[in-house]
Amino acid sequence: MATTTDTVRLRPMTKEFRDNAAATLAAARDEYAADARKGRGGRATVQRYADRMDGLVGTVVDAARDRTATPFVVCALGGYGRRTLCLHSDIDLLIVFDGAIAQPEERFVNALLQPLWDLKLELGQHVRELAEFDASDTSNPELLLCLLDLRFLAGDASLFERVVARIAERPGPSVVLEPLLTLIEQRHQQFNNTHYQLEPDIKQAPGGLRDIAAVRHLRALAPHAFDGTIEADSDERLAEAEEFLLRIRSTLHLLGGRDVNHLTHELQEKVADALGTAGTHSHQRVESLMSEYFRRARTVTRAMASAARAVRPADPPPATRRVGRQFEINGDGVRFTNAERAANQPSLWVDAFRVALDHGCRVSERALSLIEQNLQRCTPDDFVSTEGERQQLRKLLVPRRGLYDRLSEMHDSGLLNGIFPEFAKVHCRVVRDFYHKYTVDEHTLLAIRGLESLLDPPNPGRRRFTSILQEVRAPELLTLALLFHDVGKWREADHAQESVRLAQSMLDRLELPDDERATVEFLIREHLQMSQVAFRRDSEDPQVAARFAELVGTEEHLKLLCLMTLADVGAVSPDTLTPWKEDLLWRVYVDTYNRLTLGYADQLLDKDPAGLAVLIAGRPGDITEPELVTFLAGLPRRYLSTFGLSAVYRHVRLARDIHPDEVHTFLEKHDDVWELTLVTLDKPFLFANISGVLSYFGMDIHRGQAMTTPNGLVLDVFEFTDDEGFLERNAAATTEISRMLEQAVAGAVDVTALLAGRMRGVLHRVRHHHRRPPVVHFDNEHSRKYTVLEIVADDAPGLLHRISRVISSQGCDVHLVLISTEGKRAIDVLHITRHGAKLPEADQAAVAEELQQALEAGE
Amino acid sequence: MKLIKSIVRPNKVDDIREALEKLNVAGMTVTDVRGHGRQKGHTAVYRGKEYSVSLIPKVEIDVVVPNDLAEAVVTAIVESARTGEIGDGRVFVFPAEQGYNIRTGERDI
Repeated sequence: MATTTDTVRLRPMTKEFRDNAAATLAAARDEYAADARKGRGGRATVQRYADRMDGLVGTVVDAARDRTATPFVVCALGGYGRRTLCLHSDIDLLIVFDGAIAQPEERFVNALLQPLWDLKLELGQHVRELAEFDASDTSNPELLLCLLDLRFLAGDASLFERVVARIAERPGPSVVLEPLLTLIEQRHQQFNNTHYQLEPDIKQAPGGLRDIAAVRHLRALAPHAFDGTIEADSDERLAEAEEFLLRIRSTLHLLGGRDVNHLTHELQEKVADALGTAGTHSHQRVESLMSEYFRRARTVTRAMASAARAVRPADPPPATRRVGRQFEINGDGVRFTNAERAANQPSLWVDAFRVALDHGCRVSERALSLIEQNLQRCTPDDFVSTEGERQQLRKLLVPRRGLYDRLSEMHDSGLLNGIFPEFAKVHCRVVRDFYHKYTVDEHTLLAIRGLESLLDPPNPGRRRFTSILQEVRAPELLTLALLFHDVGKWREADHAQESVRLAQSMLDRLELPDDERATVEFLIREHLQMSQVAFRRDSEDPQVAARFAELVGTEEHLKLLCLMTLADVGAVSPDTLTPWKEDLLWRVYVDTYNRLTLGYADQLLDKDPAGLAVLIAGRPGDITEPELVTFLAGLPRRYLSTFGLSAVYRHVRLARDIHPDEVHTFLEKHDDVWELTLVTLDKPFLFANISGVLSYFGMDIHRGQAMTTPNGLVLDVFEFTDDEGFLERNAAATTEISRMLEQAVAGAVDVTALLAGRMRGVLHRVRHHHRRPPVVHFDNEHSRKYTVLEIVADDAPGLLHRISRVISSQGCDVHLVLISTEGKRAIDVLHITRHGAKLPEADQAAVAEELQQALEAGE
Repeated sequence: MKLIKSIVRPNKVDDIREALEKLNVAGMTVTDVRGHGRQKGHTAVYRGKEYSVSLIPKVEIDVVVPNDLAEAVVTAIVESARTGEIGDGRVFVFPAEQGYNIRTGERDI
C-alpha cells in the first residue's frame, strides 16, 4: 500500500536539479576539452575529470539516497576506478546493498541511474547484494578484473570495507590472473599480436592503454613474481607512455564527440596538430607522431610481455644449463656466461639468438640490455667479419618456429638495424594506402612470420605451399630477400629498384656466392611480379604465362618467388591472403612450374653468338669464343639461367677433348652438400650407370640435372649428401669414384650387379617404413619434341638407377633429367623419346607398368 | 534503376572499371568470389598427379544504374570482359526498387 511518504520519495528529480547536474557536467567537459584541444589531456586531466564525475555521482546519490533504508555503497570500477576517465569513457559503477534488493532498492537504483542516463553518460552498472559476493564465483572474469580497480564513491564506508574484505577472501590471485592473461591474449590476437598498426586502437591494441593497466594489475596481483626484476626506470617509462597515449585519446574523444579510440590516418593529422608534434609539413608531423607512438607502444609491449612471463613461469622452472662455453639458458632465456667478453664480441649477440631458436626459448632481458648498451660501438662489419660469422648469420635466418619472435626481439633491441642498417631506413615507416595495416618494418617481419607459419600450415590450402618450402635449397635466402624487399619504401617511387640498390652493401658484407647473390637480387627486384600475374593479369594468356616463365627462369626461382609472394601478401593485413588469392597464386605456380619443367628441353641454344655477349666478354684466357659457342650449341636455353658464369666456363673445360667412353668429372663441396659435374658422350644406359655408381658409394642424390645435346654431348650435375661419410673418411675416395665412373661409362663394369649386394643390405634396413604409392605420369602435350615422364616416389637408395634402367631397357633415349626432392619424396622429371619420337599411349602404358614393378620391387 | 551483377575474370576488373568510368558510372562494388559455370572447372596436373579445380576464382562486380543506362553498361561490361574463351563469365540484370544515400538519407532517383 502506497503511503504519503512513499509518494514524496517517488517524486521525480526536479528540473533545477537536472539543470544543475547538466551544468556541472558541461563545465567539467569544457575544462577537459580546453586541455585536450591543446594536446594536454594527459594524466592530470583525466584524473581531474574523474574527480568532477565523483562529485556529480555523489550529488545524484545524495538526491536518491532516501529511496532506500538499506545500507548501500556506490563504487567506481575499471578505468573510472583508476581515476583514468577520458571525456567519453564509460562510467562503470558497482552498487552494493547490505541486504535483499526489493522495490525500494530498485527505486534507489533508478533514481541514481536515470539522471546520469539523461546526461547521456554511457553507464556500465553492476547491482549486487553483499551476500552475492561469493568468493569462489569466477564465472564473470571481466567483472573480477573490474573489481581490481574498486574505488569508494558514496554511501556506507563501512560497507565498502566489507565488500573489499569479501573480495580479498578469494582463494588466491590465480582466480583473476588466468582470466586476465586469457583476455590479454584474445585481445592481442585481434590485432595480429603486433603494436605496429598503421591505424592503431589507442586503448585496445597491443601497447595501448589497456595493456598499461594490465601490467599494473599483474604486478599488483603477484608482487612476489616481480621481485628484483622490474627495472628502476620501468614504471617511469610506463607512466610516460600512458601520458602520451592519454593525450592522444583525449584528443580523439574531443574530435569524435564520442568514445573514439581508433587513430585513423585522417585523425592522425588532427592529433599531430593538437599535440604540437614537430614538422613543417603535415606528413612530417604525422610521421613524428606515429614514430613516438610506436616507441611508446613498444615500451608498453615489452613491459606487458615481461609481466606475463613473470606471473606465468615455466612449470617446473628449468634448471640453468650451459650451452657451449658462451651461453647458458634459464627460465628467463639465453644469457651470456661472461658478460664482459660478450660486450666486446658482437658476433656472440647474433649467436645468442641462434641458440635461442635452437632451444625454443627467448633471449633474456639481461642479454638484450647488454646488447642495447653496447650496440652503438659496432659497425655492420663487426657482425660478419669472418666466414664462420657469416655462416652463423645465415643459419639464424633459416625459417623455423620462433624466427619471427627472435627477429622482433632483435628489431626492438636495435640489433637488427645494427646488422642491417639499410633496414633502419624503414624503421616504423608509415606508408599510407588502402591495403597495408602495419608499418613497413613490421610488415616485413610479419611476412617472415608467414613463412614460418608454413611449417604448421593452418589449412590444406596452405599446405600446398609448405611442400614448396621444404624443397628450396637455401630458404634463408628467402628470409634475407624478405628483409630487404621493402627497404626502398623509405622513399616514394619504385621501391623495388631502390631496395635492390640498398641490398648491395648487405650482399657485399655477407659475401654470398654469385648465384645466391643473383637469387636474392632477383627476389627483391621482382617481388611484385607474381602477384601482378596472378591477381591482375590473365595468367591463362599464353603470352603472359610465357613471359612470366622467362622472367623466373628456373624452378628454384619460381618456388622462392611464389613463397615470397604468399608471405608478402599475407603480411599486408589479416584479411588480405584469402583462399581466393591462394588459389590464383597456386594456379600460376603450377602452370609456370609445368612450363619450366615439361618444356625445358624444347628451346635450344644455337651457334649464334648474339645474346652471349656477357659470356664471351667474361671468358677466361684459356677459352676461345668458338670453343664456348660450340659447347653451348644444342644445350637447353635455360642452361644459361641455371648456371652462373664460373660454372659455364668450368663445363667448357670439362667438355674439352672428350672422346667416346671417357668421362671428365669435377667434384666439390658446398657446406654439407657435394656437387659432381661430369661431361661425357651419350650412349645407352649412361644415366642409369652414372646414378647407380653414386648410389653404390652411398651417396644420397637430392637434386640434379642431366642434359644431352643433339650432338650427343652429355652434361650431368648431381648434388648429394655423403651420409655414410665415404668421402670424408677416405683420402682416395674422390679418385675411386672417378675411376668407377670411368669404368661405368666405358661399360667395363656391371653397375646393376655391383649395386645389388649393397641394395639388399640397405633395403633390409628401410623395409619397414611406411611407403606411399609412387606416381608415374606421362605428358605428351607440354613439350614439342619429348614425352615428359614425371615420377614422384618415396626416396630410396638406387631409385634413380632403377628408374632410368627401366627406361633404357624399354629402348627409350633420355634427353633431359631434372631431379629434386621434397623431404623424403623424390621428384624426377625425364624427357624421353623412342626412335627419336614421342611415345604413343600404348608404349607409355608398357613403360609405366615396368616402372611400377621396378619401384615396388625396390620397396 | 537496375542492379547489374557481373561475374568476370579477375584480370578484367581494371578494363571494366575504365569502360564504366567512360559511361560516368563511378560507383561499383567488387567482391572476390569462387564458382563455376558450364565448364564446371577443369583438371590440372602437378607433379604427375591430377587435381580438379572445381571452383574457379572470379570477381563479382555490382553496379546500380538508371534504367536508360543499363543497356550501355551491359554492353561495356561484356565487351571489356570478353576473351572469347570458356570462362569469360556472366552478366545479370535485376530491377532495383529504391536506393538511399546513407549519409544524407536522400533517396536515389
